[in-house]
Amino acid sequence: MTKFVRQLQFQLFLLPILAIYSLFTIYPLIKSFFLSFTNFDGYSKVYDFVGMKNYVRIFADDAIISAISYTLFFTFSKALLVTVLAIPLAMILDQKFFTKNLLRVIFFFPSIPSGLLLAYIWGFILAPIGSGVLNTILRELFNIGPQPWLADPLLAKLSTIVVATWAITGWHAVLYLAFLQSIPKDYYEAASIDGANRFQQIRFITLPLLAPAMTISVMLLLTGGLKVFEIPFALTKGGPGYETYSITQVIVLRGISETQYGLASAMSIIFFLIVLAIAVFQVTVMQRREQSMQ
Amino acid sequence: MKKKSLLLLITIICLSVMLAACSQSNNGGKKNEGSTGGDAPKSVKLSILAWNNEKEMKPVLDGFKKKYPHISFDFQFAPPVTDYIAKLQTMLLSDTAPDLFIIAAENRNEIINGGYALDLTDEPFMSVMLDSNKPMLSKDGRTYAFSQTGWAGGLFYNKQLFQKAGINTLPETWDEFVQACLKLKEAGILPLYDRMHDITIIHSAMFGSNVLTKDPSFDEKLFNGEATFAEGWTEVLTMWKEGLIDNKILTPDMIGMTSDQVMNEFALGNVAMFPGGPWNISTIEATNPDIEFEIMAIPGKEPGNKYFNGAPGVGFAVNNKTKNKEEALLFLDYLSTQEGLKQFEEGTGGIITAHGYETKVHPAYEPAYKDGLMAGRIYLPMVSWGRHQEALRNQFLVGLQDIAVNKITPEQATAALDKKLREMDNK
Repeated sequence: MTKFVRQLQFQLFLLPILAIYSLFTIYPLIKSFFLSFTNFDGYSKVYDFVGMKNYVRIFADDAIISAISYTLFFTFSKALLVTVLAIPLAMILDQKFFTKNLLRVIFFFPSIPSGLLLAYIWGFILAPIGSGVLNTILRELFNIGPQPWLADPLLAKLSTIVVATWAITGWHAVLYLAFLQSIPKDYYEAASIDGANRFQQIRFITLPLLAPAMTISVMLLLTGGLKVFEIPFALTKGGPGYETYSITQVIVLRGISETQYGLASAMSIIFFLIVLAIAVFQVTVMQRREQSMQ
Repeated sequence: MKKKSLLLLITIICLSVMLAACSQSNNGGKKNEGSTGGDAPKSVKLSILAWNNEKEMKPVLDGFKKKYPHISFDFQFAPPVTDYIAKLQTMLLSDTAPDLFIIAAENRNEIINGGYALDLTDEPFMSVMLDSNKPMLSKDGRTYAFSQTGWAGGLFYNKQLFQKAGINTLPETWDEFVQACLKLKEAGILPLYDRMHDITIIHSAMFGSNVLTKDPSFDEKLFNGEATFAEGWTEVLTMWKEGLIDNKILTPDMIGMTSDQVMNEFALGNVAMFPGGPWNISTIEATNPDIEFEIMAIPGKEPGNKYFNGAPGVGFAVNNKTKNKEEALLFLDYLSTQEGLKQFEEGTGGIITAHGYETKVHPAYEPAYKDGLMAGRIYLPMVSWGRHQEALRNQFLVGLQDIAVNKITPEQATAALDKKLREMDNK
């Protein structure tokens, strides 16, 4: 009993954050779940219960099907590219050289401004007309004609991935850097005495000890990627057609623009389950990998 | 550990259920409090939400305050269109909506059907409003907002570039228009830029010049179930595709352009035409003071059937639950006076289309004002479509971009629109 009272005292400290979390996360989630079974239009407070109708409609919706495939492509490509680029970048930034701190700041900077702002700036660089920055460079240097970076279905998808990767690689490199700096230098010294070359040191010391960082980084990349909105929205507005519509954009489109809150709530619930499933799977697999590597 | 987690989970759920219950009882138990009485003109603060910013609204607000010193404003602004609609929607749902707000084509059905706006039909100041402005803001013959403006959009063309390509008269038919574009192309001039980011000005005006000239009540039939998108729009989209896409006058890369880029390219003389409206004129002149340009209509298949894209301006409405009804109506009355119209015109730069008010428009804009706005030859689907405008607009946009990249045919695009309408009606 005393133990229970003691524990309760600690739990009390959690109450403020619990109240905020419940108000802004759990409550909207429960409310969305409830609304997903109604035909709520966002204006009228009178709405009817429609059962599973909204959930059935999702699977006949062209936009959401296209959005799921684009969002998954975006998420996994970005996660792969960022991971492949951020680890070597972190290793370089971990070296001792004159502009080390300046370079860390430069690579970290793109993750500070809003994605919307960055994407608008990239909109000028990727402008499809001859006067677009990238097209001008290509014409002047290689005599290549203007490319429709944001208008061709495939190029538009790739452009959004490149911009998103550019924006976040520095942030993840700093995350890896923090883990790199916690690896004791003795390991490397011992390895070099044993005759391990630089590549072997990376393969057998650095990468295994970076595994926990990779678990966190990949989880953040996957959940963040699945929730993507600003960058494709600002660059292409989802076009051409439904080619670069993200899942969140379709939810906003169906809910706010088309006043179908019931349908949008059902989409949000399905989306929540997809993110949850992927995140749980990824963390479980990567934690097992961590254990096997260490 | 498991017990602790369970305790935490139960607490979270309890808190959330409590919150949910609170919100339900708030919704159900909200009462409209009675108005505060008083004989002397005591000071009143009118709340207003507009999509013109405070600087634009200042002349008219100052003019009103001068006339009624006991009334002041709590002015709120949200930029058009999505932000404004979302903000007003949140305010209406939470019973915190201002005394005065605006109704646009995009939210008129929800506002009017939801009973959020006061019926203004019998107010004396409504006589100033043009009859052609009323349908957008009315339901069953009752009007719920006061609109004193209108706008028309068309194609801006560069006179010097037209002359350079040997085009001396404006096209009278769609074929002549396509020929003019090809002539410009032959002369090494880019004929036309269009971002294809909405139901475009060209599409709206083409529908007017080809369908509405034959059947002015087509949209009414469409939403009564007597006509289909396929019957009205397939020909228009086919003409557009064959004339502009197949001839590579419009190319898919234009989809990625921004509106500023398009306008700049036109102002700098890099392209001969672009679809625009009165809002573009000052920027074009500021970018290139030497440019000679004018707006023109989109011609139809038959000669003489020219149309512009356009609609009445947004309407000012009074919140049905306002406690300051008298003062809110006084504001609308002031808006309808010659002084109010002048202040509104000065502040917002909007084109006044009210009875008994003379508007001076820019010479480059005269054709749209005279032959479009005042002649009633303007069309905007968002105003004319009876319901589900946003859903249909999105479907239209996706369809036209897919046609532009040769992914679907005009027939498939209009079939998707018909399907969307059925789906929205049965949701």
